Amino acid sequence: MTTIDETAAPSAAKHGATRGGGPKGPRFLVVQGTLPYRGLQLAAVVLVALLLLWASGLPAFRMGQITNVFIIAIAIAGLNLVTGYTGLLSIGHSAFFGLGAYTTGILIVKYEFAPLSTIPVAIGLCFVLGLLVGLPSLRIHGLYLALVTLAVAVSFPEIVRRAEDLTGGAAGMVVRSRFLAPPEWTGLVRAERGIWMFWLSAGVLAVVLLLCRNLVRSRFGIAMRSTRDNEIAAAANGISVARTKIVAFGISGAITGLAGSLFTMYMGALSPDGSFTLMKSIEFITGLVLGGVATQIGPLVGAFAVVFLPYLTASYTEGPLAGVVFGVVLIVIVFLMPEGIVGRVGILARKVVRIVPADHPRLGRAPREGPPEPAHAER
Amino acid sequence: MELFLERLITGLTNGSVYALLALALVVVFRGTGTLNFAQGELALFTTFFAWWLTTESIPVWIAIIASLIAGFVLGALIERLLIRPVQRRNDMAVLIVALGLFTGLNSLAGLIWGSETKIMPSPFPNGIDDYVSVGGARLYFDALGVVGALVALMIVLTLLFRYTRVGLHMRAVADNGESATLAGVRTSRILAIGWGLSGAIGALAGVLVTPLSPQQLGLTTMFHVFIAASAAALFGGLDSLTGAVVGGITIGVLEAMLTGYVSFIGGSLQQTSALFIIVAILFLRPNGLFGTKRLVRV
Repeated sequence: MTTIDETAAPSAAKHGATRGGGPKGPRFLVVQGTLPYRGLQLAAVVLVALLLLWASGLPAFRMGQITNVFIIAIAIAGLNLVTGYTGLLSIGHSAFFGLGAYTTGILIVKYEFAPLSTIPVAIGLCFVLGLLVGLPSLRIHGLYLALVTLAVAVSFPEIVRRAEDLTGGAAGMVVRSRFLAPPEWTGLVRAERGIWMFWLSAGVLAVVLLLCRNLVRSRFGIAMRSTRDNEIAAAANGISVARTKIVAFGISGAITGLAGSLFTMYMGALSPDGSFTLMKSIEFITGLVLGGVATQIGPLVGAFAVVFLPYLTASYTEGPLAGVVFGVVLIVIVFLMPEGIVGRVGILARKVVRIVPADHPRLGRAPREGPPEPAHAER
Repeated sequence: MELFLERLITGLTNGSVYALLALALVVVFRGTGTLNFAQGELALFTTFFAWWLTTESIPVWIAIIASLIAGFVLGALIERLLIRPVQRRNDMAVLIVALGLFTGLNSLAGLIWGSETKIMPSPFPNGIDDYVSVGGARLYFDALGVVGALVALMIVLTLLFRYTRVGLHMRAVADNGESATLAGVRTSRILAIGWGLSGAIGALAGVLVTPLSPQQLGLTTMFHVFIAASAAALFGGLDSLTGAVVGGITIGVLEAMLTGYVSFIGGSLQQTSALFIIVAILFLRPNGLFGTKRLVRV
């Protein structure tokens, strides 16, 4: 469905500056696995580490906001797997977020689990819910599946309100801060929960982004993308389309549930009408589209945008304006920049620098005797 | 028995409203193959507009007609300016635009007219005593009015689709847009008319439902109606007018009976039960009860 693909290069890059007509391709090529490539990777890691250290020195309020960004980014990264790479629009991810959050909340409050030990349970439950939501995709396509996810999103708050004994119903649920103290091995005291959550979310986000990157490049990731791009062709090539969709939904739900679990530890209070309504799903989608559908760090950029956009507009009025802004931003992005911020920056960057595998034809090292290139390069 | 009859009447009335909005969804789906997620919020917006007109001491009937016109214009504009440019790209782009409209229109109504609940006057007599007694149950005139409006609309739509040139063209475009274009149908105009028509139908549903709704006119009034209406439209297969009406009424009656007689569901799981119906129908009959099976050519 989505046409955005990180491998789609601008046409000029396909044929090099080999024959006349001036340089058409990117100015620099960086070959994967060489020293400059490793250097760039190392520089990126160092830069991220420095940014994180800088952010951890910010005042508590700012640091809390950034922690929130990281948590939303994890949730959007989950959505990206199913919507971005598998091409199934989900407006039900608020339910996964909520299920993760409530699982952690209930386990801590009712069963006195340590916060971190609730994470695997939350992930497991959300994975199962994801499989269940994906199950209709055996028979249902596109639009109809979006309706099923809508059903999940709308039902979740109602069910939470109904299951009062467990969830505290409409009044919500408070997790006392003594339960949420950082674990002892960190050496942090209870008052330093902010900094603990900051580093925990940052770490989890890094792991999640890395896992997503590897997953998308794996055999299963190829199956996901081909299911998205052409279901019939994928099926004809032996991909089990239904299984791909269901498993993608499961993994996606699990990651968003993980974000929900962290959200409980971060907020310490849950209510069905607060953060787990359809509006949250729309926030995730806005973030995904804004950051860049099917890009690796789009979720992070998008999360920054959706967390800080309401703050920018809130100086005028509360509430409704944020909704108008989300709506307008969604529509404007679809029109003007369908590849999102990260996608657009990527396209621009590829005009200057391009990372290629070692057997790229433009490298003079191994001249190929293929069919002669047309004298007029494309365009 | 009285209670049963009263619940049946409530169900029929609500069902008629669901059927109205479901008709709007079906008209759009037949034209463009898109489920308009923003249909409910579009109706909400035009209803607020009608309410605002009545506060300016404009008679309620004129306000309703004005909101129908506003619905038509808004629908057509949305198709032309927002949907058409991205339609060719892919389904997801259309869905995302519709989601943007969904949040945008709702919040815009809140921004312009405030989020507190409004009392929308009914076009029909709706005093305590305005009812006829049927087998002991009270049949209020405003409920009758809604059912009447549905019947009238069904007749108008049937006549439109069957006997007019525009209706013929709409059917042709829905069936095969390219062939229709080659045969000289002005496809783009027909599509805009289709969206406009559904905007107007939605507006009608909005002004009729709010005086009956327990929440009156608030920002959340139309959401439940939209959920039930999409269940109704799916029930009928998304492309059948009859299916939408049968679906709407079935879901209205089912809902009234379930909330009345099954105490576990009560008043609090209404939406969940409507949505459960959606999922169940999709599982059992992906093309709905009246829908045509879609063939995919490779």
